[in-house]
Amino acid sequence: MRPLTEEETQAVFKKLAEYTGASLKNIIAPQEDGDRNVFRLSQNRVYVVRLSMANLATSIARDNLLSLGTCLGKFTKSGKFRIHITALPILAEHARHKLWIRPNGVMPFLYGGNIVKAHVGRFSEDCPEHQGLVVYTMDDVPLGFGVSARSTAESRRLDPTGVVCFRQADCGEYLRDEDTLFQSG
Amino acid sequence: MAPSKTRTIKNKHAGPKGGSSAPAKGGAKRSTTDGVSKSKSKKPKGPVVSQQVKEKNRALLMKRPKKKTYTAEELGIPTLNMITPIGVEKPKGKKKGKVFVDDKESMTTILSLVQAEKEGHIESKMIKARQMEEIREARKVEAEKKAAEKKAMLEDTKESLRKKRKRKNDGKEDNMKSISLTGTKANKASKKRVSFA
Repeated sequence: MRPLTEEETQAVFKKLAEYTGASLKNIIAPQEDGDRNVFRLSQNRVYVVRLSMANLATSIARDNLLSLGTCLGKFTKSGKFRIHITALPILAEHARHKLWIRPNGVMPFLYGGNIVKAHVGRFSEDCPEHQGLVVYTMDDVPLGFGVSARSTAESRRLDPTGVVCFRQADCGEYLRDEDTLFQSG
Repeated sequence: MAPSKTRTIKNKHAGPKGGSSAPAKGGAKRSTTDGVSKSKSKKPKGPVVSQQVKEKNRALLMKRPKKKTYTAEELGIPTLNMITPIGVEKPKGKKKGKVFVDDKESMTTILSLVQAEKEGHIESKMIKARQMEEIREARKVEAEKKAAEKKAMLEDTKESLRKKRKRKNDGKEDNMKSISLTGTKANKASKKRVSFA
């Protein structure tokens, strides 16, 4: 377990900034009890964790430490950062663009499908093409995140079967990718 | 003459040790330096060393002067235009290992930089999208206008055709009347004829 280097921090922030707005800075802001969140890299996975907990975790051997704090994602072998569904609570809190889906679209999305126009309940205004979106149910429960296939204006003209959002991650992954999601190495 | 008894002497130092016997044939007295006695070898080594140095110097003088080999950098030969793989050339004077970012200030700096960049991207994307939307709207209006004009023209032509037909119909109606009055049999009278000259 180690802190991130400058390049790694940049890669992580770039990916997070796809989905989040200016409020992302709250994630590294000091908290009321004087503690703050830090990023830690353990076996190619990046975790957001309280500094006090990260300091405690140094007493655990590298091989024995499976996970700590919230896993944001992992670095690929080529040095790119891939965000995981486990980062959803953080993204949902600071989301820039949102998409709400109707009850009839929830299951298709949770099974790994893209979101079609017919399933869209509400859509953030002024969302450009290929921009990160956080997907919610109509009751504001975050389900996952994706990338907009078309801008808001264009998607209004789309036919009901047209894809509005390409899925990136959904809560169904907790079951589908159960054996690889938390696997280390 | 009787053959004299010969004695084998292994080396010049290994002479007869008996002090009573006469000195050797040669009569050479053993010097203090030769001999293998260990006690005598414990002499101060100063002069020996100097002798060795002298010998070394002589050896050095005898040797050919070694040719100096120049490196490519010393000669100023232009380097080949090739890719140096990552990790082969290490910057000098730079500290080894990774530089971690863990303090709040530097993280905030990186975050603000990234966010500014992202904002710019999104902003430009949105401006572009808006411009495209405007262009699309303009095209749509133009297309609608053209379609309306075309329709109007079509209507005009239709109208004109209708008018023309009406006029023609007026003339035709008279004919029809005459036909209806006289009947079409009159025409039948004009049968085809073949005349032979």
